Amino acid sequence: MQNQIDKIEHKDLEKFTPVGKFFHMVGMFLMHRMAGQQVVLFFRAIASIFSESRNFKSDTKNVIMQTFFTGVEIFPILFIVATLFGSVVIVEVMTLMGKVGFSDVVGSLMVVVIIRELGPILTAFLIAGRSGSSLTTYIGTMVIDSEVDALATMGVDPIRYLVMPGLIGGTIATFIMTIIFSSSAICAGYLVIKILTIISGNVLNLQLTWNYLTTEILNAMTITDFIFIVIKPIVFGCIITTNACYQAMNIPRDIRQVPKATGRSVIKSFFYIVCADVILSMFYFLDYFNEISKII
Amino acid sequence: MNNEALRIEGLCLSHKGLMGTSFSQPRAVAYFDKSSDTEEQIISNANLVLERGETLCVGGPSGQGKSSLLRVIAGLARPSAGRLYYFGEHIPSERHTALEIAKRQVGLVFQNGALISNLSVQDNIALPLRYHKKGSPREIDEKINMAMDLMRVRDFANMFPHQLSVGMQKRVAIARSWAMDPELLLMDEPTAGLDNYNRRNLLPLIDNMRTLFRTSIIIITHDLMIAKELNCNLCFLHKQTLTEPHPFDYWVNADNEISRELFKDLRTSG
Repeated sequence: MQNQIDKIEHKDLEKFTPVGKFFHMVGMFLMHRMAGQQVVLFFRAIASIFSESRNFKSDTKNVIMQTFFTGVEIFPILFIVATLFGSVVIVEVMTLMGKVGFSDVVGSLMVVVIIRELGPILTAFLIAGRSGSSLTTYIGTMVIDSEVDALATMGVDPIRYLVMPGLIGGTIATFIMTIIFSSSAICAGYLVIKILTIISGNVLNLQLTWNYLTTEILNAMTITDFIFIVIKPIVFGCIITTNACYQAMNIPRDIRQVPKATGRSVIKSFFYIVCADVILSMFYFLDYFNEISKII
Repeated sequence: MNNEALRIEGLCLSHKGLMGTSFSQPRAVAYFDKSSDTEEQIISNANLVLERGETLCVGGPSGQGKSSLLRVIAGLARPSAGRLYYFGEHIPSERHTALEIAKRQVGLVFQNGALISNLSVQDNIALPLRYHKKGSPREIDEKINMAMDLMRVRDFANMFPHQLSVGMQKRVAIARSWAMDPELLLMDEPTAGLDNYNRRNLLPLIDNMRTLFRTSIIIITHDLMIAKELNCNLCFLHKQTLTEPHPFDYWVNADNEISRELFKDLRTSG
């Protein structure tokens, strides 16, 4: 009678060369860490797009639903925050720079503050707080209620059915929302300046035309900016949705863990977003370094 | 052709194995897991053979690991020892996942139904069929209607799980599993929480699956009378071990600890 322990024998490891063993060790180290597992989850979700069960019609429908779920939910608050934020930034820039005689750098500052840095970051924070937490709660509750187990026992891959649409839809929505945020902030800032000029009778000496503002912004933008307008929101969107799904999938079978996982999802997303932003900002430094080296 | 639906040899399950691996965890982590599994066993050295078209009830006191046994068979928990053969094919430990076992036409009906909460009854039944592209849209619609008729849930086709009673949810869950044409169906407490009327209605439906479609069925239950009504074998998970399966009447008359404990009322009433 077969009564032997049928554990996995690690013969595979013995076949590895020393270099192979080193890479295996590094790989296993990373895969036992949360960040490593999240990277694997991300690639598994991307790979699942090409699985045998792909269905263009239903996949597109799921992704569009997820995009709307993320975008529509966040739009009202995002629009208000963008408007207020844009107003504050443009008034501060105009008044402060006017005082020190650098009012011509308004375009550069708008690009740096709104388009390059705070626009994508604030949008990502809002999406992590609103839609990322919703995604964690939604999938987490499914885990607790055995719905995810039920999917697996029906042969439906939970990563394909739940994570992939969340990842793609959430990332598309983050990109669209970032564009909306930056545009709303600039437009609102311009409107506020106009209103202040009318109210104060131009006592504050706030002179800004739409043509001047847009020309200044476009002149201040570099190729790197145009590339990063697309890349940053995509990276942030991938981080938010992968992290939200990962936190949900790892909930122990205890309903009290759902709010904890939701909180973890938001805080970790904030942390990862800032880390990613620092890494991506290094490319601007390279851009700046190239310009300086040309001058020298 | 192998006539066995399921063979379990020397199965052991620890608490660690029961926790399973998260669906988000890379498979390599489990594959190269070197940590020893020395925790207390939930199930120890369980052996079982289930023929095709056979129904088996597994009973026993609460907390003995009956549902855990079902989770192992369905691939939701990883055994710490032993071998499992599905229709004659051995699934090694590193491939023992629910997705892998589902490919062998093994279905599981959860105790709570585990219906997808944001899908209607009809869409719940359709989900695996559409995912696995089991036929043309028309064929899938026909299959859904057939499953709903079989389990008598057609009137609730457009309702959502939270609008259904426990009994209805169970019937929908069975319909969803049946629609996938399982060759081995695992059921966790199918009659728990049902009144007598619904219970009486459900048992013939389960029996139909066995007689009409030759589905092998394992039922985990506290309701031991199911074994008598379905005229099937009954075994017990007691003190970590799985007993040999025997007919209901054998257990009523047997002179052992399980019979004395669990069939006390039936024995005294004669």
